[in-house]
Amino acid sequence: MQIPVSQIQRFCMHDGPGIRTVVFFKGCPLSCRWCHNPETQSFENQIMFDAEKCIGCGSCDACPHGAQTDRKNCIGCGACTALCPTGARENTLSMMPMQQVLEIVLRDRAFYGASGGITLSGGEPMAHPMEAIALLKRAKEEGITTAMETCGFFSEEYLPELKKYCDVFLWDIKDLNDVRHKENTGVSNQIILKNLKQLDCLGAKIILRCIMLRGINMKEDHLRGLRQLLEELSPQTKIELLPYHCMFEKKVSGLGMSDAFNHERYIPTAEDMEQARQMIGI
Amino acid sequence: MKQRPMRLCEETRRFATDSQKGIYGRQTKETPFVVMDDVPGFAKMSPLAKHDAMIEKIVREAPIRICENEKISGSASLGAAISHIIPAMFDGKKVFDSISHLTIGYEDILHHGIEGLRKKAESSLAMQTEERKIHFVKSCIHAIDCFSLWHARYVKALENDPRYADNYRNLNWVPEKPARSFYEAVQSLWFTFAFTRLCGNWPGIGRIDILLGDYLKKDLAQGVLTINEAREILAHFFIKGCEWITGESCGNGDAQHYQNIVLSGIDENGEDVTNEVTYLVLDIIEELAISDFPITVRLNKNSDEKLVRRVAEVMCCGGGILAVYNEDLIIASLTEYGYDEKEARCFANDGCWEVQVPGKTHFGYYPFDALAVLQHHTLKGYTDVSFDSFEALYKKYTEDLDRQVQAVADFLPGWLHNDDPCTIVSLFVDDCIVTGKSYLEGGAVYDVLSPHIGGIVDTANSLYAMKKLVFDDKIVSFAELMQILKNNWEGQDALRLRAKNKYVYFGNDNDEADEMVSRVASDFADACGKYDTHEKIKFPPGISTFGRQVEWAPHRYATACGNRAGDVLSGNISPAPGTSMQGATAMIKSYCKVDLKQHRNGAALDVALMPDHVKGEEGVNAVMALLRGFVLLGGFFMQPDVVNAEILKEAQKNPESYTNLSVRVSGWSARFVTLNREWQDMVIAKNESGEL
Repeated sequence: MQIPVSQIQRFCMHDGPGIRTVVFFKGCPLSCRWCHNPETQSFENQIMFDAEKCIGCGSCDACPHGAQTDRKNCIGCGACTALCPTGARENTLSMMPMQQVLEIVLRDRAFYGASGGITLSGGEPMAHPMEAIALLKRAKEEGITTAMETCGFFSEEYLPELKKYCDVFLWDIKDLNDVRHKENTGVSNQIILKNLKQLDCLGAKIILRCIMLRGINMKEDHLRGLRQLLEELSPQTKIELLPYHCMFEKKVSGLGMSDAFNHERYIPTAEDMEQARQMIGI
Repeated sequence: MKQRPMRLCEETRRFATDSQKGIYGRQTKETPFVVMDDVPGFAKMSPLAKHDAMIEKIVREAPIRICENEKISGSASLGAAISHIIPAMFDGKKVFDSISHLTIGYEDILHHGIEGLRKKAESSLAMQTEERKIHFVKSCIHAIDCFSLWHARYVKALENDPRYADNYRNLNWVPEKPARSFYEAVQSLWFTFAFTRLCGNWPGIGRIDILLGDYLKKDLAQGVLTINEAREILAHFFIKGCEWITGESCGNGDAQHYQNIVLSGIDENGEDVTNEVTYLVLDIIEELAISDFPITVRLNKNSDEKLVRRVAEVMCCGGGILAVYNEDLIIASLTEYGYDEKEARCFANDGCWEVQVPGKTHFGYYPFDALAVLQHHTLKGYTDVSFDSFEALYKKYTEDLDRQVQAVADFLPGWLHNDDPCTIVSLFVDDCIVTGKSYLEGGAVYDVLSPHIGGIVDTANSLYAMKKLVFDDKIVSFAELMQILKNNWEGQDALRLRAKNKYVYFGNDNDEADEMVSRVASDFADACGKYDTHEKIKFPPGISTFGRQVEWAPHRYATACGNRAGDVLSGNISPAPGTSMQGATAMIKSYCKVDLKQHRNGAALDVALMPDHVKGEEGVNAVMALLRGFVLLGGFFMQPDVVNAEILKEAQKNPESYTNLSVRVSGWSARFVTLNREWQDMVIAKNESGEL
């Protein structure tokens, strides 16, 4: 089985308990305007270009598709990344055999102890449900803990098995106002919330992760809605508020994408955050 | 970064601030030495007689210094000692250097006092028949008398001063007599340490929790002392230990006089020694951020959770004050090398991290740069050199390495023929007094001269890049590569960056790259083994640079792994700057693949952590996991440090050297150099205010 990997990052501490290795899946059904990992949205390989690393050696002029003159021609074949001497051009997708992914993850076994392990992230790992579940299952068999960062947008049929092999869910809640949710992410939040509640009923350990964007979702209906949602879910449910940032700017331009959203005005102030916490009641 | 807690009283904290600001160190500089010119016939005396006269003058004339509010007394108050000489001058010149790189034994003084030491020397004198030995033991007795003389001056100075009633009461008993309480033991230990430093030497302290633990246990059990009182007393030991801080800048800092401390671990019988003193030391350095005593904690697979957590917590405060040993590996290594297991279990170090049995070891090390061997000898400065295969190149390199080790081994036959007087440290190193031989001439139980290989990672990375570029991937010919390196990569940027970026080097848990470091390390260790044949002197290998890479760098040529001439080199056995892409866990794994057990004197790994890595409970847990993994995987010595905002600024200027720095953004981590400028600035600002 092949896993569509964008990146594997070791020694992570903020993506579940203990020291973790995060496997970023490529491809996501949502298209959040503020996405922090824009290179993982598309399911296809894209070339990430870092202008600061480019020395203008011209190796990439050999592009067989003429993407050097017009980036629109790029089909993500990766020919230029193989030729680039400096790493200024890099692939954002590599299809890796599951055993290889697992082998990389297990390299840090000595550091996991009882709490650390693997975290699936992305992109949306559940956009590749068979692969994601199989990887979690294998990791569990190896005796390490498992976690998943998910937007929650996937078919409910996978929930029971997912619960079986995933110890902790880091569950994104982008907006409880469905009109805005559709507008900003491209999909409705109904499936996400239904899955969440069903998973909660199954007794899963869930941490809600809520991006906070000033003027977008830091509105009373969303914040009070979160409070109500927490009341509905089992008491062990935790919530983390993540203030929006625009540090992904470089990634957006590196992918040759238009920079339509990225604005500092959406960054919440400390006051905004405090107010949000009060409304949510945390 | 973690806030430093406050447990000590205000006077103690103020004393610490003054001492760390360099007030006492600068005072010391005002009274640098005593003058021997008025001693009749000094110029014509024998070296030993000169030495004895110098020590006597020092103890008679060195200024008595009693600092306001100090709880223990005694001061190494002659400034020239800070320059590593005996602080007594003749005709405006130094007479003798002093001794460092050893941990002396304090047990005799603590348990038997100066009076016990005197008895030991007197009974040795009665046994000696050789004139040379008689002279030496007489010098020992004279030094013991001088110790008492200096002691008596302090007792007199403290008498009748109600502010220092405790100090007077304690010093009126110790160190002349055996310590009876924790307070007396701390005073006795300090006074002995201060005396050896007064005479110019730089000894280590060693296993302070063993030295003081039983005294504290008894006092606490009897209710004559509270744990808070004990912490205050011990804090003064650490603050007094800053009395050589002058605040003046000098290459490697002004706070490093090899005054090592080793905590925790097992004792000679295999019992865990961790006690209240262990935790008090951690409390004190956590609060006062005193980095003068390099402290290493001995961990093993069974180290208590509480201890590992406290160590991690102190590390999270930053400053790199604490380092760790994996004693499982070290004890096994020393035992395999021929030390009795009980002796091996007692190991401490020389002041940095080179392991030795404290109070019994005469130690020296000889550093060399392995990259110089490769560039200057094997590759002849990239001129007129040719190899048909990588193995041929490597074979020539091991021959050159062997020659370098042999050159160090050439010192062995003459090493103990050393007449330099060194009576003061000889008093506290077994079995100098008993055998009638000084520390430098073989009186110690163990004599250890250790060759230290430096630049091992740069060397292995260079070899690896040559193997890949020329022999495996055939991108350039050997002759072309030599020409390119000779020209310092001039006009070859694409190839240089290919070498730098397209290969993975040591420190990323890549077996192929790591294997090259392991191979060089093993071949070096084998070479040392070959020359380890002296009947008295041990010749164990070690891996270090101790910052020497900064001095070496300007003299090194370009490397095949993409460095230009003069670029920053790697330290100790840590990944080369800019080559570590996978984080601390991968770094530790690469390091542990080296057969570290062979490097019996030690091999150090430096691990830089970002403040955000060590923030909060998550940070403490992460550091604990690193420590546990380091032990589990078979590390030797590791020094984690928390990187500060200054480093981040440096990373902005030279991003390619800091590829591995990652920062916490908002619930997740991002690599620092991949952020744009404004956000980097913000992260720096947050780091500076310590609120990330």
